[in-house]
Amino acid sequence: MGRIVGIDLGTTNSLVAYVDAQTAQPRCIPGPSGSTLCPSVVSIDPDGGIIVGEPARRRLLTQPERSIYSVKRLMGRGPADVQSELMLFPFRIDPSSKHVIRVKLGDKLFTPPEISSFILRELKNWAEAFFSEAIDRAVITVPAYFNDAQRQATKDAGKLAGLEVVRLVNEPTAAALAYGLHEKQRGKVAVYDLGGGTFDISILKLISTGEGDIYQVLATNGDTHLGGDDIDNLLQAFVHEQILQTDQIDFSPYGEIAQELRKELIAIKHKLSEANSATLLFPLPNGKAFVHEFTRGAFEALIRPVVDRTMGPVKQALADAQLKPSEVDEVVLVGGTTRTPLIRRTVQEYFDRKPHRELNPDEVVALGAAVQANILDHGVKNMLLLDVTPLSLGIETYGGAVAKIIPRNSTIPASAQELYTTGVDNQTGIDIHVLQGERELAKDCRSLARFTLRIPAAPAGLPRVEVKFLIDANGILQVGAKDIRTGEQHNIEVQPSYGLNDADIERMLEESIEYAEQDFAERQVIEARTEAESILGATAKAQGNPNAGALSSPERAKIEVSIAALQEAVKGNDYKLIRHNIDELNRATEHLAELLMNSAVQSALQGKKLAEV
Amino acid sequence: MATPFPISNPPLVCWNCHERTSGTHFCPGCGKVLQVPDHSDYFFMLGFPRRLWLDMGMLEQKFLELSWKLHPDNFVNATPEEREISLKRGSELNDAYRTLRDSVSRVEYLLAIEGARKEGQAKQQAPPELLEEVFELNESLDELREAKAAGSDVGSLRRRLTTAEQSFEEKLKAVDGELQLAARKWDQTLDAGADEDAKKRVMSQLNDLLNRRSYIRNLVVNVQKELL
Repeated sequence: MGRIVGIDLGTTNSLVAYVDAQTAQPRCIPGPSGSTLCPSVVSIDPDGGIIVGEPARRRLLTQPERSIYSVKRLMGRGPADVQSELMLFPFRIDPSSKHVIRVKLGDKLFTPPEISSFILRELKNWAEAFFSEAIDRAVITVPAYFNDAQRQATKDAGKLAGLEVVRLVNEPTAAALAYGLHEKQRGKVAVYDLGGGTFDISILKLISTGEGDIYQVLATNGDTHLGGDDIDNLLQAFVHEQILQTDQIDFSPYGEIAQELRKELIAIKHKLSEANSATLLFPLPNGKAFVHEFTRGAFEALIRPVVDRTMGPVKQALADAQLKPSEVDEVVLVGGTTRTPLIRRTVQEYFDRKPHRELNPDEVVALGAAVQANILDHGVKNMLLLDVTPLSLGIETYGGAVAKIIPRNSTIPASAQELYTTGVDNQTGIDIHVLQGERELAKDCRSLARFTLRIPAAPAGLPRVEVKFLIDANGILQVGAKDIRTGEQHNIEVQPSYGLNDADIERMLEESIEYAEQDFAERQVIEARTEAESILGATAKAQGNPNAGALSSPERAKIEVSIAALQEAVKGNDYKLIRHNIDELNRATEHLAELLMNSAVQSALQGKKLAEV
Repeated sequence: MATPFPISNPPLVCWNCHERTSGTHFCPGCGKVLQVPDHSDYFFMLGFPRRLWLDMGMLEQKFLELSWKLHPDNFVNATPEEREISLKRGSELNDAYRTLRDSVSRVEYLLAIEGARKEGQAKQQAPPELLEEVFELNESLDELREAKAAGSDVGSLRRRLTTAEQSFEEKLKAVDGELQLAARKWDQTLDAGADEDAKKRVMSQLNDLLNRRSYIRNLVVNVQKELL
């Protein structure tokens, strides 16, 4: 068996990492561009080609209807769950979706695990190119607060990408592993992990024993729909409203303008992590530009609700671990969103302790996944991870109530047995409904599965069947049954309430083979073509701008020649030639870009003056 | 430890080498992890006698020690059969620690494996000496619900219920104290090598206390929910 890599399948970015045999330190693997971050964006070509990562991210602007980001938000969810999401995200969900969401990209439908599998396959390719060997096993990280269906969907995505998912590891736990290796920390550690779309808080106890270090998770909590995306949504809604008031322009939240605005706002958000103010300058369809100066203070007031929402889970996790904030020895910040100063300040004040953020918050989870992959590959030698289930497991009882059989924060694997018997003569089945969640009524908990326990006909009360519910080390439910009188094991077909069944996965695996065969060069061609399309489109648009008139005729001729050369190159399969011509066109249009930028600034300033008059 | 270990798990046949084996977790013959027996015993699994006072430090130490060996992380490259067996044994270890770590679930578990746990109708029936107070409490709860529904002032009702809730929390503490005493009595009965009848009497007392505790706890939780 080949090596096991560690993968962080993130809402915004995904990464793949390994442990270097020489230094015993984890490292992230760079992609073809040299960056270790693969944007979690997928775009589908009209001819069915799949584009992942940075080229797909550029396509969000040019071909939003064929592209998708933040698909992690849809993993393991039913169509009814994502209604609120649809208000803010350009997800085009097939209305006939029932148990599994199907997203429309171009004219094709894909399930969230399929889309995630394209991202995983890209990372698999990165790793294979890096090691020059086939990679077929991985540890994949998931938010600690992911439920059974969300975990299962992630495992399915791995399978569809041709990866055996050796283990799902909770993201904050992975981060703690990476930090532990780095800092040799001891005592009680709180990991505050705010990513692009999910929030987790985990409290761990680091114990040194004769055999090695044990990372024992005491409690975990979180919100699988809370993250940087929500900050972006707040900013976008705010600016949208402003533009509506000042310019009476109301644009679709799904279209090109919204995507471009979102991109600019994310840049503003990043700037405000360092600077005290940042100015948004956004060209509007009416030729004017929207200008707004964001101060750090106004930004923080706007996003405070998001930060406040993280504190409920933090308090609950501490209460479950039976600790006061002051009893926590170390605090670790993980996830790109914790770069926001307001978050750092809030966490520091609550724990009265300066949080650690020495390791790159974008990479630390992938690094931890690599550490766990290494442990699993070489056996538990000097590090052991004891993780917990984030949600209580229960079964529906009479009257729609839920009997908790495995409480939240139980160390996994964990199991519980229930004994069933019949109420009437010759009853041949008992319906069992398994749920996850903390609420008391079944309707308020997350339905995991329903199944009918088959029982041989007998007088009432005579059959005695023991059902074993087991949560494995991935946090995924397994169910088994045993006839107490005969000792016979029953096979139980558990139909998941949300997600794919085995037949779905088989079918998708067959379909995915056609995608799998694209080799490295082919992917390079596709990526180069995508980039070419995007720059050709932008150039054509710019040429139509009135300010392009200031170009000299040699400049104009040079642009035309470069366009023709690139259009010719795109027809062929030489990705190096395409790249070369992209660079040529970029150079030829430098002055044009400058002219457009100036005009945008001027119109912005003019707009301001007019308003001031 | 003064008391002899009760050997509750009879030797079983190893799934791998098919020899009868006396090992607890691993087969002394072939070294493979053993399957979980039909009637497993958490006390035995963690190497403790069936006593109710356990040294928490020792319990944790034993749990961590066994986790090194039994955690599924050790079996990733094993055969599917061995992985399956280790998963069950690994979860059994976690279940055992979770159960024995908590003083109330420990008593419940002991009674269950001794065949002495009887929940009966105790969950629904108020202990006779509490009848009057429970009746008053339920009346106040009804009044509060009605007042809430009608939107009228609930201040005085809330105060009355808060007082009642505190009184029942006191009772919960008292039951917990009694439970500790009875648990100690169980250990003494074992130490004295008392006969089965004496053991049964203590178990029956423990069982009654558990039922009483569960009844009062439910009351407290219900009132707290209404007061939120």
